[in-house]
Amino acid sequence: MVVADAGMIAIGAGIAVGLCGIGAAMGEQAIGAAAVGAMAEDEKFFGKGLLMTVIPESIAIFGLVVALILLFVFNV
Amino acid sequence: MLEPTKMTRVVIAGTKDLMEPVISTFHNLNMLHITDYSEESETFKIGKPLKPASKMSEYLLSLRAITNQLGIKGIESQPTSKSRELQSRMDEKISTLQKEVSSRFDEMRNIEFRIKEKEDIVSSIKPFFGLPLSLESYSGYGSIKVYTGFIDTDLELQLSKITNNYELFIGEHEKRKIFALFIPIAFSDEVQKLLQDERSYSELKAPLLKGNPPVVLDELSKEISALKQKYAQIKAELENIKKEYSEFIIAADEYLSIETQKAEAPLKFATSPNAFIIDGWVPSLKYDEMEKELQKNTGGLVYLAKIEEKANEEDIPVELENPLMAKPFELLIDTFATPKYGEIDPAAVLFITFPLFYGIMLGDVGYGIIVTAMAYFIKTKFKTGGLNSLALILFLSGILSIIFGFIFGEFFGFPIFNVEVLGKMEPGFLGALPPIAGIHMPIHRLGEVQSLLLLTFAIGIMHIMLGLILGFRNHLIEHGLKHAIFAKGSWMMILMGGVLAIAKLMPAVTSKLPVPTGDPVFIVGSVLAVAGIILLIAGEGFISILEIPTILSNVLSYSRILAIGLSSAGIALVVNRLSMDLFIKPHGELMGGGIVLALVGVVILFIGHLINLLLGILGPGLHSLRLQYVEFFTKFYEGGGKKYIPFGYKRKYTEE
Repeated sequence: MVVADAGMIAIGAGIAVGLCGIGAAMGEQAIGAAAVGAMAEDEKFFGKGLLMTVIPESIAIFGLVVALILLFVFNV
Repeated sequence: MLEPTKMTRVVIAGTKDLMEPVISTFHNLNMLHITDYSEESETFKIGKPLKPASKMSEYLLSLRAITNQLGIKGIESQPTSKSRELQSRMDEKISTLQKEVSSRFDEMRNIEFRIKEKEDIVSSIKPFFGLPLSLESYSGYGSIKVYTGFIDTDLELQLSKITNNYELFIGEHEKRKIFALFIPIAFSDEVQKLLQDERSYSELKAPLLKGNPPVVLDELSKEISALKQKYAQIKAELENIKKEYSEFIIAADEYLSIETQKAEAPLKFATSPNAFIIDGWVPSLKYDEMEKELQKNTGGLVYLAKIEEKANEEDIPVELENPLMAKPFELLIDTFATPKYGEIDPAAVLFITFPLFYGIMLGDVGYGIIVTAMAYFIKTKFKTGGLNSLALILFLSGILSIIFGFIFGEFFGFPIFNVEVLGKMEPGFLGALPPIAGIHMPIHRLGEVQSLLLLTFAIGIMHIMLGLILGFRNHLIEHGLKHAIFAKGSWMMILMGGVLAIAKLMPAVTSKLPVPTGDPVFIVGSVLAVAGIILLIAGEGFISILEIPTILSNVLSYSRILAIGLSSAGIALVVNRLSMDLFIKPHGELMGGGIVLALVGVVILFIGHLINLLLGILGPGLHSLRLQYVEFFTKFYEGGGKKYIPFGYKRKYTEE
């Protein structure tokens, strides 16, 4: 493995995590705002609202998976 | 377990004179879920409340008002009052209480108002301490206009432009200049204009009182303290009333609630001029007990029958039934949705999977101990309700975290056993651990990412498979075998086939080998997956092809079990290394940088772990729950059931 390749893989992993994080954040901000609004109407919505808000977090996790695969599977 | 309690539909009919004993019987039994009668017909109308209803609710209303005014809260106590005794004393006691409490309460309001009034005057008198005049000199003139207030500029200079015929007093209050100006009324317009244009001027009206300010103030203070004393006295009296009557009030509240409930029960019945019919549900196991009790209390004059006819599923009330340990997890089910009758109740599954996921995610002995201790504390503090359930869930999760903490060898991020992390050998404080069952222990999460990632996928595949199996069962019961195979069997085949095929495909792709088309496992997997897709399209239409990628994203989603744990372990490691290597033990020497540096290190260590712990409680909890709700429940759970609410009351403070 050439050092430059390892560097590129690391950069790729970083981009995967970073962009996915931004994407997840964009999703969560809209849902979070709506969830807070719904909670103001009815406090019972807390559980469901919290849950809805963390749903886009999967996107961030996918980014992490891609990064881990890049680092540990391709970086042999 | 796994299924809601079996319910039997019953119909009770009787003549109206038996209505009261029937209502009392059911109320005491606390087991019949009454279906509201809503379709009025010529013969049958919705029942009218029993006679005492309005009087009871009136009592209840005044009692609740008194409870509020006295600030009485529920207490833990043994039942002390007999219903009959309560009933006889009710009228007299409530009216005395009302008189005693509300008159005192009104007086307290009145005193509060007067104190406020006097305090306002006090604060308006204080500035006039700076001026050598008594309060009556500021008002009551015919030809003189008086201005009083704060000002910063030199007033005399400006006044001289208007007239010299004035009298001005100047003093000081809290470092501001206060003045009193007496001027003939003829100049008042000009002076008014002058003051209005002066920005530092703020008007201050002298209160309409007589006497020197300090003397007046003294009198007022005396009056205020007298009022306050009276207030305290009334409050003490109320406190005495509270002490004396709180037992009665709580018991009476319960008694009245019960009586109101009973009196209003006929609103759920169908009644004709001479008869009534009650339609409801009772847990099948309790039917015999109910029948016996009812016949005993009515002398067998009431007709009672089981209805065997198949009912609409949505109309059957749902009572979840679980062993003691799995009971708290019903909270998580109810937060999502109450299951339909006949649907699987997954509380028992959550009992295993929720703490398991939580434990793997947190996976630290130190954090685990804190979470467990905290949960135990909450549990002893709140004996019932949602918080108690939550505490029990957290307790189990904490214990699992401790167990996985040992497997991962982490104590607040410090290694428990010797372990190699990121190429650096870390000595653990318990030394080396021999391999257990051929597995090299401990498994440090930062060191074994690849294999742990595969493990999380395996957990995910099993969890989703379990969800599909439960879904298969639900469909089988509700729609039959064919539908179950189309809707859930197809997904199982896609999942199994996909796993087999990808397991063979992935190594080939990463090592750039040709696709192993000849491998029997790969062939079986591919065929299974394709067959599953065909079944799915046959059953659910072509559009369902769009849904196939979700199964992949569902499985990948389980990598969060590792991811959350990694971030938590990573933060702990960073905090430890930062504080240890830079502050507490620089260059490997304890307190090598002096005591101050070491203390800074300790602070960093504490704050870092506190933040990580807070994240560590919230993150794993939420994500573990999300895996249940989003990945697991969507495979089988529909919800939309009606909760079983039996007609009755659990007496706490009164006896029959």
